[in-house]
Amino acid sequence: MSEQKKGSFLVDTFVFTKRSIITIIRNPLIFIPNLIISLFFLFVYEGGLSGISELPAFEGANYLAFILPVSIVSAAIGGAGGAGQALVKDLENGYFSRLLLTPSSRLAIVLGPIIAGMLQLLIQTVLILVVAYFLGLEVAAGFGGVIVVLLLTLGWGLAFAGYSVGVALRTKNAQSAQAGTFVFFPLIFLSTTFVPYELIEAGWLKVAATINPTTYLFEAMRSVFIDGWEAWPLVRGFLVIALLCAITISFSAISASKAVSAD
Amino acid sequence: MDGSISVQDLVKTYKGDVKAVQGVSFEVAEGEFFAFLGPNGAGKSTTVQILTTLVKPTTGSIRIGGVDVGEEPERVRWNIGVALQETGIDPVLTGRELIEMQARLFGFTKKEAKIRAVELLALVDLNDAADRPCGKYSGGMRRRLDLALTLVHKPKILFLDEPTTGLDPSNRKAIWKEIKRLNKEEGTTIFLTTQYLEEADQLADRISIINQGKIVASGSAEELKRTLGFDAIQLLFELDEEAEQAGQILVDVGENIERSKNEVTLYTENGTKLLPDLVRKLDEHNLSPKTLNVKPPSLDDVFINVTNEQKERA
Repeated sequence: MSEQKKGSFLVDTFVFTKRSIITIIRNPLIFIPNLIISLFFLFVYEGGLSGISELPAFEGANYLAFILPVSIVSAAIGGAGGAGQALVKDLENGYFSRLLLTPSSRLAIVLGPIIAGMLQLLIQTVLILVVAYFLGLEVAAGFGGVIVVLLLTLGWGLAFAGYSVGVALRTKNAQSAQAGTFVFFPLIFLSTTFVPYELIEAGWLKVAATINPTTYLFEAMRSVFIDGWEAWPLVRGFLVIALLCAITISFSAISASKAVSAD
Repeated sequence: MDGSISVQDLVKTYKGDVKAVQGVSFEVAEGEFFAFLGPNGAGKSTTVQILTTLVKPTTGSIRIGGVDVGEEPERVRWNIGVALQETGIDPVLTGRELIEMQARLFGFTKKEAKIRAVELLALVDLNDAADRPCGKYSGGMRRRLDLALTLVHKPKILFLDEPTTGLDPSNRKAIWKEIKRLNKEEGTTIFLTTQYLEEADQLADRISIINQGKIVASGSAEELKRTLGFDAIQLLFELDEEAEQAGQILVDVGENIERSKNEVTLYTENGTKLLPDLVRKLDEHNLSPKTLNVKPPSLDDVFINVTNEQKERA
């Protein structure tokens, strides 16, 4: 090799992303359970709870459209968490060091699994939407609304991937990284998960739902499914996600720079 | 950028005041085969990780091929090949995929990467297993694949951290043969760490013995044996008690004496000269060894001697 050779960030990112995709495809168990659980949510909640949408607080909304964001968001968390778990595997079996010894871009090493996770998440979301379509979903905002939902999901996934990658690089072991994904539960369930805000009984749950960023994501998605184009829920949803991404991506970037230059 | 290594006053202290490396300095010339020999926990792996940009030193200056490791780590990475003790490979990918990916990261085009993978798979004798996921490889195959990954970009300097630990003799010989060839035919500088004296003796032009984070002796295998300057007289007895008794009688005869079970080894400046006296003394106590050998020191003896001296001083 000529010694002044320069690495290419784009080639490195492409190579790492491709590798992560191959890994995901060869281990279907990474994504299939997650997808099944999300569809399970959709069927069970829709089947068991759809009667409550008769209540006036639902304002005549279809329960399927109301519960669908829960299914999408839970699938997204699983998909995005995979990025962190892929890195933990590399750290544990020593392959991460082998990658650090190449002149490749340090950022690309972390970016590859994240991009692959985003692609996985996109496909999952489309699948869930297709299933919902066959269950009778109607999107009030039309095709544009579907795109908005996909963008919201991607943003949410990116925020969660940043978090999971950060935790992975800090703890460097699978159990701790796995434990880190348990924020999943409060994020999904301490929110307007099953009923609108007005119907939440417990005061503490109202408080939790107000500070839980997932609430604003649910509201934004529900607004395009149920009400059509409404500015405020969308602006709020995207703002919350942007803020979350800023926090978690910085967290993962700091963790990454620590992990790649051990003291 | 050439193939030299220069290390000045390298110190590495971990949290809690753990001193892994305590002021190590050495030079390796281009094309030289240098071995770092030492017991487990001597500081070998830490030194390799620092030299290869993975870990930052606490203090000290390191130049690899004339390039400062702290200032331009990326330039260093283009020119070194590193096989770490813990071989890291993604078990899901095949051997061929791993080599091609490694090549792409070192700036090869897709086509060049494919060609390089074919060459390397043949070199390390992994043609048959090339398209199997390497999670299914045996330990020896994995190590050979790791060596192939290390060689992808034809590095000028190779760092091999205990490359044969845990390998069976045939795999060990195969690795020895290949690194010998790289050094002799391609002029690759080699920095090898090992716990095996035989390995250092067989392969290296020059050896540094490291113990408890410090270099305790340096030189060619021959020089190290000569510095020791002693012959070893080895006496084997029928019974352990006889050996123990002999050990007590002969304690003033040699310079240094070691006993284990039924074996007594005596280090002395001139073994042959001392022999009649030694036999007479044993005779006086009605002791006769089963076998008696006088031999020039082995690298083992040097190793035991310098690491013992250090223990005594500590």
